[in-house]
Amino acid sequence: MKHLSDIMDGVVCVGRGGEVALVNSVAEQLLGVQALVATGGDVTALRAAGEVAAALVADVARVRDGAAPEAERTIEVFGRDRELRYVRCATRAVLDYQGAPAGAIAVLRDVTADYKTDQLRNQYLSIVAHELRTPLTGIKAFAAMMAKGALGALSERQQEACSSICEQSARLEHQIDKLVSLGDLESADYGADRQVFGLASFLESVVTPFREAARERGVALTVRSEAGDPELCADRGELRRSCQALVENALKFTAAGGAVEVAVLPEPAAAAAEGGAGCRFHVRDDGVGVAPRYQRRIFEKFFQVEDPLTRRHGGAGLGLYVAQGVVTAHGSRIEVSSEPGRGADFSFALPLHLPAPAGVGASGGDSNREAS
Amino acid sequence: MQRRVLIIEDEKLIILSTQMVLEASGFRVDSAMDGEEGIKKARESAPDLILLDIMMPGIDGWETLTRLKQDPQTADVPVVIFTAREHSRGHQRSAAMGAADYFRKPFEPEELVELVEKHCGQRQRS
Repeated sequence: MKHLSDIMDGVVCVGRGGEVALVNSVAEQLLGVQALVATGGDVTALRAAGEVAAALVADVARVRDGAAPEAERTIEVFGRDRELRYVRCATRAVLDYQGAPAGAIAVLRDVTADYKTDQLRNQYLSIVAHELRTPLTGIKAFAAMMAKGALGALSERQQEACSSICEQSARLEHQIDKLVSLGDLESADYGADRQVFGLASFLESVVTPFREAARERGVALTVRSEAGDPELCADRGELRRSCQALVENALKFTAAGGAVEVAVLPEPAAAAAEGGAGCRFHVRDDGVGVAPRYQRRIFEKFFQVEDPLTRRHGGAGLGLYVAQGVVTAHGSRIEVSSEPGRGADFSFALPLHLPAPAGVGASGGDSNREAS
Repeated sequence: MQRRVLIIEDEKLIILSTQMVLEASGFRVDSAMDGEEGIKKARESAPDLILLDIMMPGIDGWETLTRLKQDPQTADVPVVIFTAREHSRGHQRSAAMGAADYFRKPFEPEELVELVEKHCGQRQRS
């Protein structure tokens, strides 16, 4: 038992009959109980010790009842120093060799430092993003106006240079967006910030940053909507970043001469995530494809397919992780269908925005806002 | 009649670039560099739409929005929040506070024009 008292996490073991079998020293501190007093007594007696103990007792009861095989939550408590602390409590049912309930084990960890680091990181990223986006707003707008000829006629070479500034600034914007997406997604209050927007201009904003890179690499990048130009009600910024992660990924694994297509197809009513008419976004390529054994794992944080041929493409392994998180927050899921060597098709469905009946509020989309 | 847009924004570069985009589409654009000046101009000139930045010296965009919505003279002018900073559930927050829309910088010029067109006529309709 010596090593149990040395580990950094609090550990509480509860036996078959609900009796406390073990409380290590870290758990004593986090729960505010004494092992000598608690051990051997019923676990429910710990409830009065404080909020963390009450949560632990409730979760132990749930996993022992078989309501869930495991439970995990983070509890906010004021410590003795009156400072807010965060304690993560993970509880799991213990089964005997025949699969019958044999008690529960709970692991407690003070995650206050992680929380504070995350908060600081997100604040910092948000400020950095603001500082980068402000000059970029001017660059983008001026270049776009010049490229359109709004500031006078351009020679062919000037036109080329302007278009290049437009694409490069869109690319820079995409990089800044990626920087802040992760922070947003992992913040405690993340939820899809929905708004109503048109599909066609959205699709264009997805592919713009990649046009030049695709051309340079000799990959045909096309956009197509068979669903027309309906309105969607979704978190436009996050959804754009997600689609861009899929496009970026497709381009990465498609060789010269290949093709990447962003296509939107009508989705039969029943299959749409929230009922009603929907559409399905596809990002397809004819590149190296994804081996079946990786088709789930590619959405894990930091996961990279360790193929010596493709590894050289770099990336942090965050794009698909963030994309899946965003699409999930919209009540859908990214699915992959692929055969190695024959390309991949990443797709997800979203409901269309149906305008509110006349006279029901001017700001359309409100009715859907809390849908996720 | 030419429709008039008021930009309340502390970055000159953003005022200039936004102005250029909107003027090319036939809007008349006026600007204010902070919230107080913006409220004053909104009362004087009764624009068809206000584009409002959030991070500004003095009173910020949220406070400016609150005051615009409390003042009967400006309450029915549609206000679009115009921001480069991530705000948690910014769309929902701005809608709850009475803003007509929430728009992120940097923007695509076409999207900005589309958005301004959409909200400009709203006062007469409501």
